[in-house]
Amino acid sequence: MIFQKPSADIALDKSEIEEPKIYETPQADEVDTVVGLSVNVEGDFASEGNIIVKGSVSGSVHTSKHLLVEPGARIMANVDTGSATISGTIKGNLRVKESLELTASAIVLGDIKVKVLKVEAGALLQGKIVMKVPEKEMRLEDNKKSKKKSIGSRAEKGDQ
Amino acid sequence: MYVYLYDNFLRQKKYENVVKAIEIRLTDFGIAGKILRLNNYTDVKEIIEDEIKRGAKTVVIVGDNKTFGHVLSRSATCNVVFGFLPIGKDNSIAGVLGLPVGVDACDVLSRRKREKLDIGWMNNRYFVSQLHVMPSDIEVSYDERFKVTSKDKTELVVCNLQPFYWNKSKKEDDFVVHPQDGKLEAFLRPLTKKKWWGYNYEDPSVFPFEEMVVKSRSPFVVEADGKRSKEIKIKIKLASGKIDMVVGRDRRF
Repeated sequence: MIFQKPSADIALDKSEIEEPKIYETPQADEVDTVVGLSVNVEGDFASEGNIIVKGSVSGSVHTSKHLLVEPGARIMANVDTGSATISGTIKGNLRVKESLELTASAIVLGDIKVKVLKVEAGALLQGKIVMKVPEKEMRLEDNKKSKKKSIGSRAEKGDQ
Repeated sequence: MYVYLYDNFLRQKKYENVVKAIEIRLTDFGIAGKILRLNNYTDVKEIIEDEIKRGAKTVVIVGDNKTFGHVLSRSATCNVVFGFLPIGKDNSIAGVLGLPVGVDACDVLSRRKREKLDIGWMNNRYFVSQLHVMPSDIEVSYDERFKVTSKDKTELVVCNLQPFYWNKSKKEDDFVVHPQDGKLEAFLRPLTKKKWWGYNYEDPSVFPFEEMVVKSRSPFVVEADGKRSKEIKIKIKLASGKIDMVVGRDRRF
């Protein structure tokens, strides 16, 4: 129809209105830190974003985001990270808040404290592994221990 | 009141039409103002401060990347709103700020959408876009916490407004440097494998930082926004939110 009665639908035709583009401001924690192949980092190495290591790092490594250690990379440091994927060598203790993945070429010489662990066949690990026990299991364990104690104390009273 | 700083290269005949069209458009918008021409001998900071005393509220840079870096690196401390009308080929910064090249930039300027931008500081002078250290034997310390070294020479580029493309094939989706993130980005590129035809460059390492010291035993060449010097030690810091700039809607931050 060439001539149409004015209607609310036509007046409010949203297809013609350009929605303003919303630019999300990227913050410093969205910028990846990359340590290149022949680059050597020494000291207290910390970043607010993801860290990708292809070279060597010594000292300490800290990030709340993801750490990626590529094959051939070496870290002679204690590592504290949110999550990690290791394909290189780490000589030091690892503390991972969420998940840790060790690929086939990973070598870890140190203790690991992690929530979720994934290990591929071929990964080399020399150290202690401490994983967080779920709360439900902790309560069951506590109940068992308290029952054992009470049975033990009754048995002692009975003997007396 | 608006003051327009024209670069010297705009005197060339090929820019006559564009400049005329811009002046007409600015008059139509009611934001035409005093025109001052820059040359090699003018002290930009002094000119801008004089105009501020006379009541200038906005200083508009008319030119290209070099003009932009030259003016802002010298007058970053001036308390005025800056604008930019990009003209010519070398205008990659315009895209980052959301400014079209040519007459259409006047529309953006008239809308007066302002943002505070970070600026870099190196050894008592400012740089807006990039700082480039030519391949040298340098040692870099970041934020007084860790240091970065390489086996041989290293090339360093510190970016604030736009990333540095070593190869001419620019992949624009690769990396966008944000001028408001409170950090500067350092791209380190070590040279390796000395062959008979020269060095090979490695892929760059990337380090966001707020403060950095670059040292060397022998002087190295530093270029900051087009100005070259030779230094043994430089301290690079971030000056956050220093520049009040008119930007466009299509800005890349």
